Amino acid sequence: MSSQSIQSQGASAPSSFIIKTGISLKPSYYHEVLDTRPNLGFFEVHAENYLSQGGPARHYLQKIRELYACTIHGVGLSIGGEMPLNKQHLHRVTQLVNDIQPEFFSEHLAWSTHGNTFLNDLLPVAYNKVSLNRVCDHIDQLQTALKRRILIENPSTYFEYKHCDRSETDFIREMVHRTGCGLLLDVNNVEVSCFNHQTDPYVYINEFPSNAVGQIHLAGHTIDNNPIVPLKIDSHDEPVSPGVWDLYRHTLATIGDRPTLIERDGNLPALTELLAEALHADTIRAAVKQGNEDE
Amino acid sequence: MNKSFKSALFNQNNDFYEAMKGDSDSEKEARFNVYRNNVFVSLIDSLADIFPVTQTIVGEDFFRAMAREFIQLNPPISPIISDYGDNFTDFIRHFEPAKSVSFLGDLAALEFSLLTLTNAQENKTLEREDVVAAFNNISDPANLYLTLSPTTQILVAPFAIGSIYLAHKNSKSCSLTDIRIEESELLLLSKSHLFAEVHIVSRADAVFIKHLMQGKAFGEAIPDDNDFDPGSSLAKLIDWRLLTKISEAGA
Repeated sequence: MSSQSIQSQGASAPSSFIIKTGISLKPSYYHEVLDTRPNLGFFEVHAENYLSQGGPARHYLQKIRELYACTIHGVGLSIGGEMPLNKQHLHRVTQLVNDIQPEFFSEHLAWSTHGNTFLNDLLPVAYNKVSLNRVCDHIDQLQTALKRRILIENPSTYFEYKHCDRSETDFIREMVHRTGCGLLLDVNNVEVSCFNHQTDPYVYINEFPSNAVGQIHLAGHTIDNNPIVPLKIDSHDEPVSPGVWDLYRHTLATIGDRPTLIERDGNLPALTELLAEALHADTIRAAVKQGNEDE
Repeated sequence: MNKSFKSALFNQNNDFYEAMKGDSDSEKEARFNVYRNNVFVSLIDSLADIFPVTQTIVGEDFFRAMAREFIQLNPPISPIISDYGDNFTDFIRHFEPAKSVSFLGDLAALEFSLLTLTNAQENKTLEREDVVAAFNNISDPANLYLTLSPTTQILVAPFAIGSIYLAHKNSKSCSLTDIRIEESELLLLSKSHLFAEVHIVSRADAVFIKHLMQGKAFGEAIPDDNDFDPGSSLAKLIDWRLLTKISEAGA
């Protein structure tokens, strides 16, 4: 895509991103999106699925970017890893971000690479000074390469480390303070992690450094009913659960309206089902805005 | 810390549990198993996406068990999962339980080659009218040089894997009854618009295309074969979008 066509989008794209909820873009939706042009705020893609030199993914992303605002969500940079960032991968992600000019680039407070191995999952970070220094160095490096402020997402986790000397929200607050990064608040991750660690998700939201939140994710989860310790799994293969909608309502009432994404990665439904969830989020956003104005 | 996490994922080594909060080892195991499951299931799913025909041939359960063994020995090294699986082909060739399916490794190799081609950069190819004009504007077409897209490949397959692949692609279920699997095939791999394609070609067509790839002029590229029909071969080159340039001088 030429830089000119991006600039021509500049006037309208950011406002739709801010006002209307977006959804994940998946290959099975490409044609329907281009044919029907649904009324949506934006589309989000995983960076790692769009790094090839050619093929359908990049082609359709560019077509859709000409019509919609986009966000790019990295899942493979391993910000929380003990290893230095993979320079080749960073270079390719930078090229994609420069080409697509997303509203935001986001990554995770998690690690996925160790040694010569990419583990294809978002693995947990211990909340202590050593890992905070490392995470901040990696965010600095990424923001320097991308020449923009990035968002970092709160993780879903299934255990806690013994060697932590601060809470997740304190760790994130310090990370924001030191790097100037923004945050992607994944409300489903809050629900999942708090359930798994038997803490209160509403307290988590109240303690979250809300000023830095640039975007919200909503997704579905599943339950692992193992007999020892029931766990919620951040599976992204179900509709957003009623509990997460309630927590989202509380989040907006607490921190104010934010650009929101319905995130779906598996068990993909008809596009119209995701559009209906996006519309539901829009309804909640409008109601909360109205409620806040009335107070 | 990450090293011992990784070891717990792949070797069922539980030293890492020391670093976890939890009332009992069984609770820690239940919690850690979420990561074990996420890592293996997501990678098995990725391999199933990359090798769909291979999976159809051996069945989902066999494929997933085979993929799990592969992942255990060959975890990915790149965050770009669509690149994963280049040595899955070799693994399959040496995977004892799959030995009875003699063509499985070659079929997997074909699927991986097509995926790599699909992800390769597109090349602008000539339209039919460009080709007709080039042939009309020269007194002796034998002197024309036809440049093929760099994504063009001729593959000598020891089994009828092109037929198996196409049967699956066209019907989504794969009946082997009409395919004489032990017969070798000549396959043309190329990229048409955004996707890689495979075509089964005759020996004469394969020789002709090889000659063009070697830079021979149209006249010299025509094989010494009574069955060869230059008109219909040229039509295939156009339909399959293989031609990137026609000129009177060698490339």
